[in-house]
Amino acid sequence: MVIDMHVHPGFIAEIAGDPERVAFRRKHFGLYKQHIWPLKLALMQMEAAGIEKAALMPEDLTTGCGDTIVSNEEIRQLVDLAPERFIGFASVDPHRPDAEETLEYAFEQLHLSGLRMNPSTQRFRPNDGIAEPLYELCMRYNRPVVLDMGMSLEPDAPSKYALPVLLEDVLLQYPQLRVCASHFAFPWVAETAALMLRYRNLYADTALLYFDSPKGFFDQVFNRQLGSHWLDRTLRKQVMFASNYPRIEQSRMAEALRSLELRPSTLDLIFGGNAETFLGGEGK
Amino acid sequence: MVYQQKITVLSGKSTDLVKITRRIKQIVEKAGIRSGIVAVVTLHTTTGITVNEGLDCLESDIGAFMRKIVPDDDSYAHAHWLPTYGRTSANAVSHLRSLLTGNHCVFPVCEGKMLLGAAQDIYLAEYDGPQSREISVSVIGD
Repeated sequence: MVIDMHVHPGFIAEIAGDPERVAFRRKHFGLYKQHIWPLKLALMQMEAAGIEKAALMPEDLTTGCGDTIVSNEEIRQLVDLAPERFIGFASVDPHRPDAEETLEYAFEQLHLSGLRMNPSTQRFRPNDGIAEPLYELCMRYNRPVVLDMGMSLEPDAPSKYALPVLLEDVLLQYPQLRVCASHFAFPWVAETAALMLRYRNLYADTALLYFDSPKGFFDQVFNRQLGSHWLDRTLRKQVMFASNYPRIEQSRMAEALRSLELRPSTLDLIFGGNAETFLGGEGK
Repeated sequence: MVYQQKITVLSGKSTDLVKITRRIKQIVEKAGIRSGIVAVVTLHTTTGITVNEGLDCLESDIGAFMRKIVPDDDSYAHAHWLPTYGRTSANAVSHLRSLLTGNHCVFPVCEGKMLLGAAQDIYLAEYDGPQSREISVSVIGD
């Protein structure tokens, strides 16, 4: 099972019928020239990349920008169109007065599989008290949390909110909460790796491409910035494949991961086994 | 007289040769032009339009030739963050391969039909799929 743990679905035609909403997405998500294409094509692209399931990420910017980039309801709509291919996450702006109710609704009524937040665009530090009720809801519903950490490629997104060390308080306070530092918190990948060594409930995903080609950048990060054996020996049960599609093609990111010299069993874990654990919470 | 139509092709693989001969023939016959030319032009920079014999073995050889001339992994300047797009370009190979097949083909139109050699097929060459691709078909004549 190959699972892509970080996919942005805002330009899939089935939820992109409103031109004003698409313009909002282009501006606030920062993917300025992205075409709209049908779900059928998105599924063909997954197929060509050998990806069986994709975790769809919404983003709630209600208090900062007045709307969501993709709403929880739109995520549900897409999951219903291809339930065997999509895993739907919820997003909640923690500054919303109804943040807890919104997340509870997403878990209880929309049956979404986890919480995704972007501290940089949503302007909160992960260890702020403001997010605590949301973490507690995730604990109560046994849902994981994906946090976009490190330098965000979205506009108007200061990195100071997304330093990986800010996760440490959360990991200490909620040792049973499964947390993913998305984008491996680039450029703070060594700090992220160190936290993963210490906290087994911290995961990171491979949705990182900031320079060069996917293969070149993965070589830089996973063989040079990190020790070339760290993924294979130490972090093998805490890293999840993710593409950040459509900022880059899924097939190229999957090829980049395969180009690293990892044991087949490690590749299996990173491509899907770890995501299954992260999503379902089975013991590692 | 000019008759123009766009067709859309959903390519199913990262690199692919998709036969479009029958669709072009149908457009020419529908155009109502007895004598002239038909121009088939791709509207993309990571595809090509090419003409060759429609055999699986040749399609395989063309793919191998492309990979040899333009290797998958090389030090391409195009592999970098594009601020105006908000994404990374990692498809230099697709652009370079598209150079080799060009963006169009032209055939004569005689007695209302496209004049095609017995071995000739028209292909959309996909170098960056799967994608939804648009092709412009212009039938020009009397």
